[in-house]
Amino acid sequence: MALLNVNHVARIEGHGDITVQVEDGAVKDITMDVVEPARFFEAMVKGRTWQEAPLITSRICGICSINHAMTSILAIEDAFGIEVNERVSTMRQLLVYGSYLQNMATHLYILAAPDYLKMPDVFPLAQSNPEIIDRALGLKKLGNDLCTLVGGRPVHPTTAVPGGFTSEPTPDELHLFGTKLEEAVRDAAATVELFGEFSVPTLETKGDFISLVHDDTYATVGGSIHSLDKGWDRPISEYPQTFSESVVGHSNSKHVLCDGGLFMAGAIARVNNSWDKLLPSARVVASKVGMRPVNKNPFMNNICQAIEMVDATERCAHLCHELADDHSESTLPEPIIPREGIGYGATEAPRGTLYHTLAFDEQGRVTAGDVITPTAQNLANLESDMRTFAPTVVGLPQDEFITEVEQLVRAYDPCLSCAVH
Amino acid sequence: MTPKKNVVVLSLASDFGCQVQMTNFPQLLEQLSSFNLVYWQLATKAPHASEYEVAIIEGAVTTDEHVELLKKVREQARIVIAIGACACTAGIPGLVNTRDLEESGQVVYGDDFKLIAPGHRSPAPVKDIIDVDFSVPGCPIEPLELSRTLQRALLELNDTPHLETLCAECKMNENPCFYKSGTACLGLVTRGGCNTLCVNRGRACAGCRGIAPDANIDAAREFARKFQLEDAFNEALDLYNATRKDA
Repeated sequence: MALLNVNHVARIEGHGDITVQVEDGAVKDITMDVVEPARFFEAMVKGRTWQEAPLITSRICGICSINHAMTSILAIEDAFGIEVNERVSTMRQLLVYGSYLQNMATHLYILAAPDYLKMPDVFPLAQSNPEIIDRALGLKKLGNDLCTLVGGRPVHPTTAVPGGFTSEPTPDELHLFGTKLEEAVRDAAATVELFGEFSVPTLETKGDFISLVHDDTYATVGGSIHSLDKGWDRPISEYPQTFSESVVGHSNSKHVLCDGGLFMAGAIARVNNSWDKLLPSARVVASKVGMRPVNKNPFMNNICQAIEMVDATERCAHLCHELADDHSESTLPEPIIPREGIGYGATEAPRGTLYHTLAFDEQGRVTAGDVITPTAQNLANLESDMRTFAPTVVGLPQDEFITEVEQLVRAYDPCLSCAVH
Repeated sequence: MTPKKNVVVLSLASDFGCQVQMTNFPQLLEQLSSFNLVYWQLATKAPHASEYEVAIIEGAVTTDEHVELLKKVREQARIVIAIGACACTAGIPGLVNTRDLEESGQVVYGDDFKLIAPGHRSPAPVKDIIDVDFSVPGCPIEPLELSRTLQRALLELNDTPHLETLCAECKMNENPCFYKSGTACLGLVTRGGCNTLCVNRGRACAGCRGIAPDANIDAAREFARKFQLEDAFNEALDLYNATRKDA
């Protein structure tokens, strides 16, 4: 039996290996081994103060830092019974969308596109099609600038705290940024068109699609948990009963099942579950490239991210102008009185739903913490997809075979520093 | 013309945030093109190069494998640059040093902990394992500081680390002192050079840049005591500086 190892898969966030066992030209088994070293965040937060918790969990991942900080903030507010006003909620949405734009521009253009263009990395594209790279870097910068405007910097926000924000942008800054976002809608639409041109392998995932949904908006910060196949909605506080985590021998990341079954989280789950909450312009560009719900091809996750960028630019432009025009509410937090209790939070990260639990004693010190990241949720489903997909391409020369399998891994946009924490 | 120096970008236990910062500023990528970038797992499929002059290292040392890697890197690279809090002070991963490593593993993985990453060790900064030529502190790094460091490495100049604490920068930025409003702030002892980014936006300093060589921790503690904030000061100090050798 031949054992094929791809160590430290390139152009993904974190360290992971692919192991394929091939016997007589057939794939016997294939696994995704997350070798990222564990840092024990759930142990680290124990005994620390509630104020420090979002700062610590944010450091689980520099790529998804905004989601980790925000999700812990929601868990703290849930535990202490804090309600925030509309303005705070809007600023939080902007912050998460800033992270979407930054992450998705990076993932789509720099990490994923080279696969479809048969290039080792994005650098040849910079030579041959500089306008495409300019667009990618422009969208990435736009996302970073939005995070900086609202959160203080692109990585690890400083202003977002339980109860609100420690500082906020001026109306002039918000208007100016709103205009920049309006101008970027066409670049986001061009991203959908670009990925629409790439030919996508045919594959139907076996798992369910799980994401947050919201009655009034495209869910990003809070909401309830929705299953596409089963049709149920559950409150975020039921996530510990909904998902089960288990340690698998070959990976430092746990695997997660939903009611005992496989599922996928991420842009494709959101687009499938919240299609009618996307802005009409996003639905139009989606339809043009053949993305309509229900679509169960995990390779389409890339296109779904691009569709969300169209939605995000237009939506955030509107939100920026709205915040600039009406500043009757303050986002400065009121003094917080901690209490004993447990709180749950969930947000949609670029690569899927992120869940946090924080329990506190009466002084507001953390007594227990739990984090379930989107990549951990996706790993079991990814391996299942790999087992379906790999035999269909095993006849290719070895390097092409590996590229095809890696392409599937990258379509999930895994974040391995998140997955092992 | 002298050939470009080969550079590799490596990461140990980290959140990738400093590498993300590197990609966030096109100016930095432009500057990297003064070097010959031969390995960066985040960006390209090219295999790990064996010959290079400069190694940029992100992350804390948490496994025996990391130690072996660093020893090889030190043999090969003439210039080693540690970037970010994890590499410079063990950062947030170092917080685990304030508790029992085995127990921490149990909290996360239960009895299955033994299956996870054999060779795990107490988190340490890179400088505890090998000599480091340049340190770029911060969580995440400040782009200007990395830019300065790359320039100095390119020209083979020495590192000129910031020696003072944050407080003077805070005064110039006209920030009110957190102690007066009953909050401990680590600006008293933390290495300056960030232009008090967090304090400017209403957050106390968490100490991510490490302890300044000029800091007087005992005096700072004495100051915190006047505001009944000594315990809060001590606790905050563990956040990014749990691996500190003194005080």
